Amino acid sequence: MNFNKFKYSILTLLAATVLMACNNDDMQMEEMAVATCNDGIMNGDEEGTDCGGSACEPCADSTAPDFTGTFAQADHMGRPGINTTLSFDMDGMPSVKDAHNVTIPSEMTATFQAGFQARLEQYHDVYANKLGLDPMDVNYENNILGLDAATLTTVLAADALDVAPDAPTTYFDPGTDADNDGNILVPDGDEVALTGRALQDDVIDVSLILFFGGMNGDRFSGQDLDNDGMADLPRLTSDGVALTATINSDFPYVSAPE
Amino acid sequence: MSKSKLIMGISVLAIAGALLIAADHLDAPSSGGTTADIADFFAFEPTLGSDNTTFVVDLQSSVLPDLAYGSFDEDVLTEINIDTDGDLVEDYVIQAYPQNGTMYFFAGVPVQTGLNSQILADSPLGEVVISGSTAIVAEGMNGTKLFAGPRQDPFFFDFFQFNAVINPDVNSAPMGFKTAAEAEDTFDGANTMSIVVEIPNSMVGTTSTTNALGIPVYKTWVTTNRKQ
Repeated sequence: MNFNKFKYSILTLLAATVLMACNNDDMQMEEMAVATCNDGIMNGDEEGTDCGGSACEPCADSTAPDFTGTFAQADHMGRPGINTTLSFDMDGMPSVKDAHNVTIPSEMTATFQAGFQARLEQYHDVYANKLGLDPMDVNYENNILGLDAATLTTVLAADALDVAPDAPTTYFDPGTDADNDGNILVPDGDEVALTGRALQDDVIDVSLILFFGGMNGDRFSGQDLDNDGMADLPRLTSDGVALTATINSDFPYVSAPE
Repeated sequence: MSKSKLIMGISVLAIAGALLIAADHLDAPSSGGTTADIADFFAFEPTLGSDNTTFVVDLQSSVLPDLAYGSFDEDVLTEINIDTDGDLVEDYVIQAYPQNGTMYFFAGVPVQTGLNSQILADSPLGEVVISGSTAIVAEGMNGTKLFAGPRQDPFFFDFFQFNAVINPDVNSAPMGFKTAAEAEDTFDGANTMSIVVEIPNSMVGTTSTTNALGIPVYKTWVTTNRKQ
């Protein structure tokens, strides 16, 4: 190679290097200059696509909780067992149980009370038939609270659980008669009941007593009327079972899973 | 309860055409057995004379095979509704919402009442890591106590006998429920996904409504709400 040719080569090489360097600079400057936050491309000093870095909004943390949106009601519960035991499908209301879960409480009595009362009477008819009696002769009788069928089902149809902020909690305590007036839970201002629901409360027996127990709570309690050692009336005021889960004295009160 | 007894019970139910479980477990076809199925709801004074109220909400239950159980659904918002003026419209709500292994709690006056809800993101109450079998408890605002995770299902009920009792067939349980010696708690051994909140009554506020005996009460109910 002669000197001229060598010089030319060097110059070319240098020029190319400079050009390339310029190009690199150009590219970087261009990227910095067009720090685009809405082109769907992760460019510039963006930390994610169109977010983060010096120019764009911070990127959303993909593990951050999302509290947005609208949530539509799927299920409802106030008192235990109400929808289960008293809702039933009727002509013109084919999905009462589902409807109950998506009805606001302020509209429940108007919507469900009549059906609840019919269901309560139907249960009595079932047992009239099983006892071989005329269903017309076996009807709901006012219960231990003194409530007739219409009043009881009016109370229960509005499915909310009462809880007293300033009174001891008892779902129902038929033994309370503080003034010894002989009235068990006839409202005279001294009794405490319907003030919440504790984990230990036997809510099924309470419901059964209110539905089938009559004025003294024991109308259908498996009585042996002729003393032959066999029950002559059905046992409808207790399902016979007691608490089996372990309840602790400290929060969260219910024991570890089995 | 033995498995064969359970299967026998279920097939009897299938014949009877009714699958009903109180307290609220499987109470209706649309919600029954789903991740949004409310199993149970409790509200009580944690100790006699306490100024707090404890709310326990149980979702799902392992009481029968093939039911949803084992994890909270991140699309399901649980809402404890509290009415303090007797119109059966919620005046105060406590919300619980699971995200990425944590249960986030919010409390305050609802943005909207009724069948649609929004999370009160600006009114956080606290948060707690969702427990495994060992309880993790956290403290939120104003001494609030928070818990979320699997627990024993405390409900007790002879569910199979109940279904026999309500069956109109004259030969089905003609004498009603069983004696204590014979009856079986269907829920013995069942577990549930539990949310427990203990909140000062002062946060909820005073109430102007009463129960059937004239005692001042909060009227409360729980809903599950699915993200749209």
